[in-house]
Parts: sequence; structure tokens; C-alpha cells
Amino acid sequence: MSAAVDCELSIKEEKGFLQHLSECKECKNEFEEAKKTKMIIKEKIVQFKAPQTLINSIMELTSIGTIEHEDTLLFE
Amino acid sequence: MDKPDTSHSVKTRTKKESLSREERQKQLEFQKEAVVHLNSLYNYALHLTMNPNDAEDLVQETYLKAYRFFNSFERGTNCKAWLFKILKNNYINRFRKNSKEPGKVDYDLIKDFYHSIKDVQNDTSEAESDYFHSLLHEEVYQALHSLPEEFREVIQLCDIDGFTYEEIANMVESPIGTVRSRLYRGRKLLREQLEGYAKKYGFNTEKDQ
Repeated sequence: MSAAVDCELSIKEEKGFLQHLSECKECKNEFEEAKKTKMIIKEKIVQFKAPQTLINSIMELTSIGTIEHEDTLLFE
Repeated sequence: MDKPDTSHSVKTRTKKESLSREERQKQLEFQKEAVVHLNSLYNYALHLTMNPNDAEDLVQETYLKAYRFFNSFERGTNCKAWLFKILKNNYINRFRKNSKEPGKVDYDLIKDFYHSIKDVQNDTSEAESDYFHSLLHEEVYQALHSLPEEFREVIQLCDIDGFTYEEIANMVESPIGTVRSRLYRGRKLLREQLEGYAKKYGFNTEKDQ
């Protein structure tokens, strides 16, 4: 069931699964609900932006030779 | 290494210069592969620590470590998954030791945390239309955090961060079958919680006949 919700089934498995859903109302409901739950999590959990200070410090870490020139900060 | 050196002038260049070029290459690649995941990592850290300052520290530490060991990153694999794993290990080493008992949820803490950070940084656009419309972000957040950690973790990695089962299995160091069943059970629990909220608002969560 989870694998179906997350598109992790192989083509063959998926075929079998869909076949089953067309015959089993209970599983079909369950499947719809599980999909909905996934969607809710996806939409409702807010993704925060990383604070600018953090972005800056990470950029600093990795921009020594690109933005600045090579004469500074290169020493261990 | 074995190739004959055709150019002496190249060879006589200072060590510092050639090092820096190599270094620069690494930096560029690191930016392209790793730094682009900064926001995701930060959010993951927030979920783990529930504290913006700790989250920042954790992300910073993670990038430092990742940069230092960037050579051991297997090219062509998912860099985000690699970073998440580093972050998780850092978290375990650093925070878990002196944290409170796992599994206990402090709802007030979640509420406070969520409000304090929401006001400053939240910029989602509201465009939902299903019957869960009036579920608040905060309630979903609470519901998610009320789950046992092993369930919450896989749901988060799967639904929010979009990792594959294989990647998740690797991250949580469990077989794929375990990941799958945790997702199943976790979602079921979550649904019960959410339906509780929906009912509170007077929605009928039973399917229309």
C-alpha cells in the first residue's frame, strides 16, 4: 500500500495492485486516504527559509576561491 | 600520475597555485551539489532539534564536515541523502545524549516554536481546496510530531524531502521492508490524528456514500 502511494511499485506490481483496487472497495478507500495524508503533509508542513546569516556562513565556507581571490583564507 | 610531464613550466608553478585551483574546483562542485540543499537541511535540522539556533549550528557543522569529506562522496549518488545522513549523525552525537526522553512530545514547545518561527519566516501561499482546508499548519505539525520518532522520521524523509525507499532505508539503517511498514503505520496514525482535528471543525471525514 505504501509503496503504491509513493510510486515505488514495479510496473508489474502496480498492474496487480490496480487490478485489486478495482475489485476491493476497502483497499481503494484506504489507498485514497493514504494518498491524501501524504498530500496533506506535503502541503501543510511549512518549509522555512534558512536564515540569511546561515546562508552567508555556508557560502563563505565554499566561496573562498571563487568570489574572493585566492590570496586570502587559503591557509589551513 | 604516470604520464610523462610534457610541460616544465606547469611543473614549476607554485604548489599553492595548483592547490588553489584544485580547491576551487572542489568549491564549485560543492556549491553545485551540496549547498543547493541548504534549505532542506535546515528544515530537517529544525524538525530534529525544534530549536532554530541548534538547527543552525547543526547545519553549519554538517556542511563543514561534508566539505572536509567531500572527496568521499560517491559521485552520481544523491548528495542530499548524503548530507542528511551526515546531519543525522551529527545530531545523534551532539544533541541526543542530553535531550529528554525520546517519544515524549511537548506540545507547548511545538506551539511556541512554531509561532516564533512562523511570524518571521513563513511565506507559504494558501491555495488549498480540499476538506482539510482549515487544518492549520501547526496542527499538522503537531500531529506529525506526536508520532513515535521512527514513524515521523520516515514520513518526513519520504513526503517532505522526497527520498526514495532505498535512500531512506540507507539513512535510517533499516531494511526497505521496515521503511515501508513504518510508512504505512505512521500514515495511519497520522490520519487518525488529523481526522480528530477535522472533526473538531465540523467536517465529516467519512467518505460520501
